[in-house]
Amino acid sequence: MIVAEELTKDYGTVVAVRSLSFQVGRGEVVGFLGPNGAGKSTTLRMLAGFLGPTSGRARINGFDVLDDSIRARRSLGYMPESSPLYGELRVREYLEFRAALKQVPGRERRRAVDRALSLAAVADMAEVLVRHLSKGYRQRVGLADALVASPPLLILDEPTAGLDPNQIREVRKLVRALAEEHTLLLSTHILPEVESVCSRALVIHRGRLVAQGTLDELRAQRRARSVQLVVRAAAGRAKSLLERVEGAAAVRERALEGGELVRLVVDAVSGVDAGELAERALLALHEASVPVREARPVTATLEDVFAELTGAEREAAA
Amino acid sequence: MTGFAAVYRREVLSLWVTPLAWVLLTVFLLIQGMSFFTIVLHLSNAAQLAVDAGPIQSWFGQSIFLVLALLVLCPGVTMRVLAEERKSGTIEALLTAPVTPAAVVLGKYLATLTTYVAMWAPTLLYVVILRNTGQVDWPVVGASYLGVLGTGAGYLAVGVLASSMTESQLVALVMTALVLLGLLILGIGEYVFEPDSILREVCATVSVLSKMEEMSRGVVDLRRLVFDSTLVALPLFMAVRVVESWRWG
Repeated sequence: MIVAEELTKDYGTVVAVRSLSFQVGRGEVVGFLGPNGAGKSTTLRMLAGFLGPTSGRARINGFDVLDDSIRARRSLGYMPESSPLYGELRVREYLEFRAALKQVPGRERRRAVDRALSLAAVADMAEVLVRHLSKGYRQRVGLADALVASPPLLILDEPTAGLDPNQIREVRKLVRALAEEHTLLLSTHILPEVESVCSRALVIHRGRLVAQGTLDELRAQRRARSVQLVVRAAAGRAKSLLERVEGAAAVRERALEGGELVRLVVDAVSGVDAGELAERALLALHEASVPVREARPVTATLEDVFAELTGAEREAAA
Repeated sequence: MTGFAAVYRREVLSLWVTPLAWVLLTVFLLIQGMSFFTIVLHLSNAAQLAVDAGPIQSWFGQSIFLVLALLVLCPGVTMRVLAEERKSGTIEALLTAPVTPAAVVLGKYLATLTTYVAMWAPTLLYVVILRNTGQVDWPVVGASYLGVLGTGAGYLAVGVLASSMTESQLVALVMTALVLLGLLILGIGEYVFEPDSILREVCATVSVLSKMEEMSRGVVDLRRLVFDSTLVALPLFMAVRVVESWRWG
C-alpha cells in the first residue's frame, strides 16, 4: 500500500529525513514511532504529497506521489498534525467541501458526510461552527475528513496529540475500529499508543529508520542482554566469580542491607541470550556455594527498546 | 483542474460569512455613492453640458475616486486567499486532497472576481436612477462596466499573487496596493513625458485613468483589453508556480 524508497528531505539547514525505506502492506496497522523532531511529520507529508522529497521516491497504492500525485492522493485520507480546519464553516459544510474536493459524486456526498460524521462520532456537532469546537472535537473532525471519501489508506499524524486522557482513549478506540477496514499508518511519540493499536512499528530517529517489525520482533530484536542477581556473598567475591562465566561482559555490583546482600547486573556479550547467561551464572554461583536470593533475565519493554534505539543513534552521531 | 469547483464554492462562502467582505462592500459603496452624488449635484447645477459629459462618463471616466476605491477594495478582497491558508495551516489539508495547484489558484481567483462583481452590482441602481430621470446611453454603460471588470480582474490577479508570496495578510495587502499604485503612477507618466516619445506611449497604454476615460465614452480599444488580460494571466501563472514551489520548501 505504501512503498517508500530512499526517501530524503533536506531543508537546506537540516536534513529531516535520510534515505528512509519501508513498506506498509494492505490491511496493516503500522505505528510510526520516534521522538519529537525525528522526521515523522516530514515523512508523512512527503507520503501525502504535501512536500516533495529531495531524493528517493514513494508510491501510494501503486501511484507515485510525484508523477501520479492526484491518483496517489485519491487513495489516501490524511490527517495533518493538529488538524487545521476552516473556523468559519460549520462542521457539515466543511466536510461537504472536503468530500467535493475529494471527488465524491454530488449524489453520494450527503451520505458520505453522514457516514464520516457518525464514524468519527461528531454527528452531534454537525451544525456547530468549527471555530467553536474543542480540541478533541476538532481532532475528530480531522478524522472524519480523512474518512469522508472512504479511502483504502489512512495516514494519521499524531492523532492523539494535545488531547486529555479521556479523549485519547476515545480516539484510540476509534482508530482500532478503523483498523478493521483500512490500512493505517499513524505517527506518535507515545509508546502505549503503538502497543494498544498497532500490529507493526517503524522506529525512526534523526531521520533514519532504526528498527522495524512487529512489536514482539522489536522486543526480541533488542532482547535484554543482562541478568540481575541478588546473592549473599562478600563484596567482590560474587563479582569475580561472575566475570569468569562464559558470555558475561561487564558486571556491576552494589551492596545491599549492610553488606550482607549484593545486587549484581551481568551484561551479556552480544549474541548471547540473557536466559542462557542466567543459567550459567546460577551454575557458577551454585558450584561456589554462594546462596542466590533472586535471579532474573531483564526483558526489555518497548520503552527500553525505544530508548536503546534512539539513544544508541544519538551516541553514534555524537 | 480537479477540485476547482469545490475550491471556488468554499472560497465564495468563506469570503461572505466573514465580516471582511461586508466591511469592504460598505466602504466601497460609500465612496462610490458619495462620488456619484457629488457628480450628479455638480452636473445639475451646470448651465450647459457637452455631448459626452453625462454623469455616467464623469463617474466612470473622470473620477479619481473610482481608481482609489479599487486600490483598497481589490487588495482587501484578495489578501487572505492564500496567505491565511498558510498561516493557519489549512493549506496542508487543501494540498493533500486530490487537487492541482492551478485549480486552487484559479478557484480562489474566480471567487474573488465573483465577489468583486457582486460588490459592483448595487451600483447598477445608479444607472436605473438616471434612466428614470433622463436618458442613458447603454453602450457607454456597457463599455464602462467592461472597463471596471477588466481593471478589477487584473488587480485581483496581482492580489492573489501577492497573497501567495507571504503568510501575512497585511503584507499581501500592502504589497498589492503598492504594485497597483505603481501602475497608477506609471499611467500618469502619460502627462509627464514628451509627446511622441516611447515612454509616453508605454505610460498611456498602462494608464488606468486613460483607460477608464476612454471606456466611459464608449470607446473599447483592443489594446486595453490585451493589457488587462496580460495583467490577469501573468500574475495567476506566477501564483500557480509559487503554490507548486511550496512543496519544495
